[in-house]
Amino acid sequence: MNEIDYLLATMIVMAISTYFTRIIPFLLFVPGKDNTKLNFIAKSTPPMVMTILVIYMLKGVDYLSTEIFYTLFALAVTVGLQVLKRNALLSIVSGTFVYMFFVQM
Amino acid sequence: MIRSALTTSLPILFGFVPLGIAFGLLFQELNYPWYFASLMGIIVYAGAAQFMAIGLLAAGVGLVEIAMSTFLLNSRHMFYGIAFLESFGNWNLRKLYMIFGLTDETYALMTSIDVPKGFNQKQYFFFITLFAQSYWVLGCTIGALSSEILSFNTDGMEFAATALFVVLLIEQWMMVKRLLPFIIGLIASFIALMFFIDHMLLVAIIISICSILLFRLVNKTHYE
Repeated sequence: MNEIDYLLATMIVMAISTYFTRIIPFLLFVPGKDNTKLNFIAKSTPPMVMTILVIYMLKGVDYLSTEIFYTLFALAVTVGLQVLKRNALLSIVSGTFVYMFFVQM
Repeated sequence: MIRSALTTSLPILFGFVPLGIAFGLLFQELNYPWYFASLMGIIVYAGAAQFMAIGLLAAGVGLVEIAMSTFLLNSRHMFYGIAFLESFGNWNLRKLYMIFGLTDETYALMTSIDVPKGFNQKQYFFFITLFAQSYWVLGCTIGALSSEILSFNTDGMEFAATALFVVLLIEQWMMVKRLLPFIIGLIASFIALMFFIDHMLLVAIIISICSILLFRLVNKTHYE
């Protein structure tokens, strides 16, 4: 197999594998049926997943360096703006700008 | 409607473009033509898995192993579809595409917003999915071409993804207003970090779904 064939084969295999993980629930469960447990899972998963994703993104922060300070500062800017203005774009751009400013200093 | 969906999807732009650029930059080191980075964004469309693929490709790992590691890494997505069983509608090409485009970011965004009145939810979600993937492909392409295009310092831009999830976490709090799922998510995250750091996301999601089902079982009247 030459290099390009290997790359293409890898991409196809990965595409199928990824698609499979995403389509499973749609194949397993029939919507519309009275399934209170499934509805309960569907409703309570987003807040749990969001919490987990935030921790996941922050898990690499080095707590013993200055990184922790500007990370917390950028987080405070993001949270503060979102609570006050409820404008997702503004909060994300401002928080990221603050973070980039300190990283590049 | 397209305009409204575009505005709603913009926060994902700030998460996906820098991440895509980072991917494209690393991909360059494999010495393939740049457009294969874009192609990967189009047909695979999975952030973490694409980063993993760079290592696997460099090592020349076999296809079976690639299939299995991709499946393991992305298996958290199995839980995402449950939220959209009804809202993605009947089986058609649009639904197949929305399932294809169900990433951490689109899941997070689409479970946190109310579709504006008068708009068809399925079409709205479809456009968000389409725009989100365009941002990703754009990022991958810029990164792979970066030596010619990039002229400013993008260090720290990856914080946008964190900020996106933080914003959506706050929106979830405004919608749910119950502490329990957040606390469960927090504790599950730390347990997963301590014992299963390589599969933290998947393990944390499984622990939290099991825990909240247990809470519901114990305290049934409270939740119905």
